[in-house]
Amino acid sequence: MLQILINGLILGSAYALIALGLTMVFSIMRVVNFAHGQMYMLGGFVMYYLYGQFGLPFWLALLLAGLALGAIGMVFNRWLFQPVLASSKREESSMLMAVGTALLLENVALSVFGEKQRGVPPLIDGVLILNDGDAYLPYSNLLVALLSIAFIVALLLFVQFTKPGRALRAVAQDKEAALLQGVNVKFITTLGFAIGAGLAGIAGALLVTLYGVNTGVGTNISTKAFIMIMIGGAGVTSGAIVGGFVLGMAEAVGYDLLPSSMTYLLIFVAMIVFLIFKPNGLFGKPWG
Amino acid sequence: MKQDKRRDLGVILLVLCTLLMLPLVIGQSHYLMSVLMNCAGVAVIASGVWLTFCIGRINICQAGFALIGGYVTAILIAKVGLSFWLALPLSCLAAALCGALIGSVILKLKGIYFSMLTICLTEAIRLAFLNGGSLTQGAKGITGLPQAFAGDSALPLYYIGVALLALALGVVWRVHYSRLGGIFRAMRLNEDLAESFGVNVWRYRIMAFAIACALGGLGGSYFTLFTQSIYPQSFTVEHSIYYMLFCFLGGLEYVSGAMIGAFALTILFELLQDFQQYQSLIYGVLMIVVMLTLPNGLMALKPLGWSRPKGATQ
Amino acid sequence: MMRQTSPVILEARGLSKRFGGLLANDDISLSLGTTAGLVTSVIGPNGAGKSTLFKMLAGFCVPSAGRVHLFGADITGLAPHKISARGLVRTFQETTIFPELSALEHVALARQLSRRASDLQIFAGTAAARRDEQRMRADALEILRFLDLDSVANSVAKTLPHGYLRLLGIAMGMAASPKVLLLDEPYAGLNPEETDRAVELTRKIANSGVSVLLVEHDMKAVMKISDHIHVLYFGKKIAEGTPEQIRNNEQVIEAYLGKEDEDIGL
Repeated sequence: MLQILINGLILGSAYALIALGLTMVFSIMRVVNFAHGQMYMLGGFVMYYLYGQFGLPFWLALLLAGLALGAIGMVFNRWLFQPVLASSKREESSMLMAVGTALLLENVALSVFGEKQRGVPPLIDGVLILNDGDAYLPYSNLLVALLSIAFIVALLLFVQFTKPGRALRAVAQDKEAALLQGVNVKFITTLGFAIGAGLAGIAGALLVTLYGVNTGVGTNISTKAFIMIMIGGAGVTSGAIVGGFVLGMAEAVGYDLLPSSMTYLLIFVAMIVFLIFKPNGLFGKPWG
Repeated sequence: MKQDKRRDLGVILLVLCTLLMLPLVIGQSHYLMSVLMNCAGVAVIASGVWLTFCIGRINICQAGFALIGGYVTAILIAKVGLSFWLALPLSCLAAALCGALIGSVILKLKGIYFSMLTICLTEAIRLAFLNGGSLTQGAKGITGLPQAFAGDSALPLYYIGVALLALALGVVWRVHYSRLGGIFRAMRLNEDLAESFGVNVWRYRIMAFAIACALGGLGGSYFTLFTQSIYPQSFTVEHSIYYMLFCFLGGLEYVSGAMIGAFALTILFELLQDFQQYQSLIYGVLMIVVMLTLPNGLMALKPLGWSRPKGATQ
Repeated sequence: MMRQTSPVILEARGLSKRFGGLLANDDISLSLGTTAGLVTSVIGPNGAGKSTLFKMLAGFCVPSAGRVHLFGADITGLAPHKISARGLVRTFQETTIFPELSALEHVALARQLSRRASDLQIFAGTAAARRDEQRMRADALEILRFLDLDSVANSVAKTLPHGYLRLLGIAMGMAASPKVLLLDEPYAGLNPEETDRAVELTRKIANSGVSVLLVEHDMKAVMKISDHIHVLYFGKKIAEGTPEQIRNNEQVIEAYLGKEDEDIGL
């Protein structure tokens, strides 16, 4: 019981971080970043090479992963998404663009890195034993969870108390009003996408120390991110966080009781049933 | 007939006639025939996606329904011993019923919620077949299905493919250019307005979705017939995305759009054999380029020589 | 001896709508009486809850409290298409209409409720379906003629000026054969000449036996056309009566205090 709870919380914090990145992009641009999973994957590879292969300090590799993906996010936003959002009347276009970027990132990574699973040695050796052996908590898992929470808190503080953060919230709430208030919407949009992508990269860089990474993991992560957003509600930070923990707990419980493929089948079915009653998730606003 | 409609019909007839005649030239090459059969199957599935665009939904679960069609065919042939003449329409019906059932639940969602859900649905369908026990044989899939027609010639199956394509196009044509199409367009543009003049939006949405899923099931069933096998990963989320790309490339304004996109890209990749390993990558780049340059797809480009009648709509 | 009384055409009793913390409509009651062919207006400053009231009457919004009765039958919470089928039809403020279709095609599409062919027949394109379509097109032309729009019957909607689009919206409403027609700001954005024409047509519609309920900001038009007026203010109904009575109502004048007399036409 305790083990499941601990697993759920650890997973939940990492998942919440992933969901936050996705919801940030959505709230600013009304675009679902289909390449979110692929950005996570790239973050994992950055960590693998910089920390695992070249021996850079962990915290430096982590930051660089975030920055690298943030940069990619900026480039995508400026050269791919802004033109499409400006020119196309169909709402499908930006979504399909995102899908295209996902295919692009995944396959470029595949060509460059190959198919092999990569791993990184755990950050801290040793295990915390709780309740006389009721539950085991490896220190590296705990560290990853704490770092995830740290980043989540940092983001929430940023969005609440800093000027660019408040501008982000303004644009997310009402683009026109923000524009009228003198917010540089173009810059903020780019910033939002960069932060969203950066968070995906950081999440990948953190989790590679626990689960490793391979170039095909993107779709899986994206799908999980979608589930979290659908449960919690798109475009709302509370939704992302709650969605993350709900999925983390569901996975922990499910994996304990059922074979892994059955777990996700049940999660999908449960989610569809849930969406009948709450089509916009727990906290989301209607869209579309 | 309006200019656009005439053009649409012209393209469809041209492609179908060409397909009917081609075996005279290439009938001996099993390889070329199989490429075209592949195109036909994909075009049938993609036209289902085209139809869901008509009611304003981005449908990423078509691969799931192709999988349903494929598995039902495989099970009916392998375990129940039905002939494919029965298995094909029954699979189509099964996919339609699943579509209606699932649609009645998920179609109230719109926009990204709907699309994200359809991705999860595709995965869920795959997992369902993976965990189907001895009925679906898990990851091994169902293989070694008997040949549909005795003998070496690919012609009979080929012509069935062309017939199915004609059927699919016929269905989509009738839906799109009849009052039903007008209703769907009304629902897409302003649901409340459509309700106000008496359209039961919920019912029509399900109708459109069920037809689309039926087409998916039909295509999937055909694939199972000519590959004589089906696996849980025969149709994945990635395939769903390709179907969308075909529709977009071929043009969402014309019924022939899905077919044009499907044939163009599938044949292109066969021609570029050496680049097959980069297929996914190129699709990704293509998607990006198409979105940047052709928001309305290939068919919206006016070929040289077609004069624009005065006062016509764009 | 049994006295057959005509049912009340449309009656709302105690309608309220709450959106989270906001009470958009508070205990609104109104009745269109039993005489068909009258024009009733609902007026009030922005935010008074007029749109929400309309949505609740036509089924686009479920009331938090209260009931709506159409010809004596309770229609509260029914789906809009069912309410339209019973004779209550609503038009829309936005002129989102299909840019590529002609005016005639719009109204023919809106004849949906009168179709006799089944969806299957329509799909198959049977002779019965084709005849039905022709009948609906003929009906559509009649409706356009009734509203003096037949000159633009074959014009594509995106070429039509704003005034015509407004009337096209009304024509689509008429295509659903309403007994009660809810007009949502039918005169918005029209110049005085267009407004006069629209007001005349509104009277023509009413005279043909359709009870008209309209929401409007244009006070001159409202005063001219209405047989009866209801006034909403911050979600509550504060007055009702004939144009004359409303003109002299203290509360109403106070509610509009601060506005130029010309603006409000009082």
